[in-house]
Amino acid sequence: MKFADFVCAESIQAQIAAETKEEVILELVGALVDSGSVKSDERESIVKAIMKREELGSTGIGRGIAVPHTKHPSVDRLVATVGVSASGVEFNSLDDAKVQIFFLLVSPPDRPGDHLRALENVARQLRDSTFCRFLKQSTTPEDIWQLLDEADSGQFGS
Amino acid sequence: MRIVILGAGTVGTSIAEVLCNNRHSVTVVDSDPVQKQRIDDELDAQAILGSASQSSVLFQANVLDADLCLAVTGNDEVNLIAASMAKAMGARRTMARVYAPVFRDLSTFDYQGHFHIDRLISLEHEAANLLARNLRDPGSVVVEHFARGELAVQEILLPEGSPAIGNSVKELELPTNVRIGALHRTKNISSEGQMWLAGADDRFEVGDRVTLIGQREDIDEVTEKVFRPALTPKLSVVIAGGGETGYHLARILENEQFDVRLMEQSRERCDFLSHNLDHATVVNADATRRSKLEEERVGHFDVFVACTGDDENNIVAGVEAREIGTQKIMAVISRRDYAGIKEQLGIDVTVSELDGVSQQVMDFLNTGPIISRSMLPGGRIGVFEIEVLEDAAATEHVIANLELPPDCLIAVVIHEDHIKVPGRDDRLQPGDTVIALIDDSAVEVTLNMFAVKED
Repeated sequence: MKFADFVCAESIQAQIAAETKEEVILELVGALVDSGSVKSDERESIVKAIMKREELGSTGIGRGIAVPHTKHPSVDRLVATVGVSASGVEFNSLDDAKVQIFFLLVSPPDRPGDHLRALENVARQLRDSTFCRFLKQSTTPEDIWQLLDEADSGQFGS
Repeated sequence: MRIVILGAGTVGTSIAEVLCNNRHSVTVVDSDPVQKQRIDDELDAQAILGSASQSSVLFQANVLDADLCLAVTGNDEVNLIAASMAKAMGARRTMARVYAPVFRDLSTFDYQGHFHIDRLISLEHEAANLLARNLRDPGSVVVEHFARGELAVQEILLPEGSPAIGNSVKELELPTNVRIGALHRTKNISSEGQMWLAGADDRFEVGDRVTLIGQREDIDEVTEKVFRPALTPKLSVVIAGGGETGYHLARILENEQFDVRLMEQSRERCDFLSHNLDHATVVNADATRRSKLEEERVGHFDVFVACTGDDENNIVAGVEAREIGTQKIMAVISRRDYAGIKEQLGIDVTVSELDGVSQQVMDFLNTGPIISRSMLPGGRIGVFEIEVLEDAAATEHVIANLELPPDCLIAVVIHEDHIKVPGRDDRLQPGDTVIALIDDSAVEVTLNMFAVKED
């Protein structure tokens, strides 16, 4: 599965303003709402579900990366957005490092296969340190979208 | 029926006892020879020595022909594996006990679906639900095992001053995600009253008991807006012990009409609790110490709930709270013989997580397409969880065209884990689960619609 299959280009946030975990999630879900990927009256419920998942263990997997996610019946296909924060956000990550790169995913409960394949794709691509470095340096949504496109075409080692 | 219980600890033994008393055929498996011997000596059940996760042992226990296999060892992983194997080997229904909350969460991985287990149960959540049930409107009952705990059936009592009084069901214009099921009306305390499935033109009266079906948060919202009088005094509750039970109870209560204070000994756990609870106040203190209870002015609270995870500590804390003046004392007590002395101790309500689990198991012992059935208080109407099978008559037409009896309400359909209130034009599909409220008189006809035709 490729980034282009599930990341919603119009929702990418290159300069995250939020400073806390909840604010970041609010901001990214808000971006999905603004781009029309999720319905606005479901915003609160999705944020809540993602926060609930975070309680079980942070999705901050270290090296400045977090992949907050949930399943939610209000979407009929997997949708995701990407956010980059220049200063980093405290996210209770494994290595205690602040998080700069966020991939936020919302998927329908009846497509568990897609959900896992997307998570796997994100994890695999983010293993590449060059890809991560370029992402952190991105300042526009276009930069980020181009990086995702390059990753999709196998330009980063994986 | 034939039931195989994996694990002869407190939980397994207690459930085995209940099932034996109800004349079911019970087999218990445990890897400890002492436990096996104890089952042999004390119960009219077959005991088998061995590991629950080994196919040879499951085979000996004859899970192949079991109506229900219950995995309740002390180890979550063993329970998941064993219940999954039992299902694959032929057990008709399986339940597994899990402690860690992550196993019941869907967002990263669907354990229940992946392992094909019919129900994952948490004793701690069960205990918290029982406590919450006792704290809410007296007599209110909640069934909340449907759709992995997402869906609840709740009964509320309409007090004087409720804005719903005098309105009809239609006039309330409830959101579509919450449904009104049954109405239970008692004219005076001594009479049994009447109970029926509410229609659009039924008007609410003071004292009515109304059954609501939906996701718990939605039910809470509707209760708050539509049924509760505007000025209901808040009840103040102290919860002693912030383990899984205390935490879950605080979560249920903080969304309702309660002021919650949670006392927990471990500082680290307190950090977790204060982070994850929205309104409850978390205090880092040992609730078994009288000085701490006095410091926190526990005597001024309406209710004290002891759920420290230890029977003796709960009793001590409960007695102390009563002495310093708390009005109502509740405690989680697992040992059955302790529950007998609660009155001498001044404890008003004792709850055992085992009772909740036993009830769930009993509700689960059914035949055919019924997954579980439980009765609403009042007795006439049952809550049925029904599996929609291939070739069942209920799948042949849209719901409006099914010849369902009038005293049957298909309240909710769970389709691919998605909870849905069905419309007249929706059609049930094989693999769906239906939650239906059915009057005694209509049970047979309704269930025939879900049975697989034999021809």
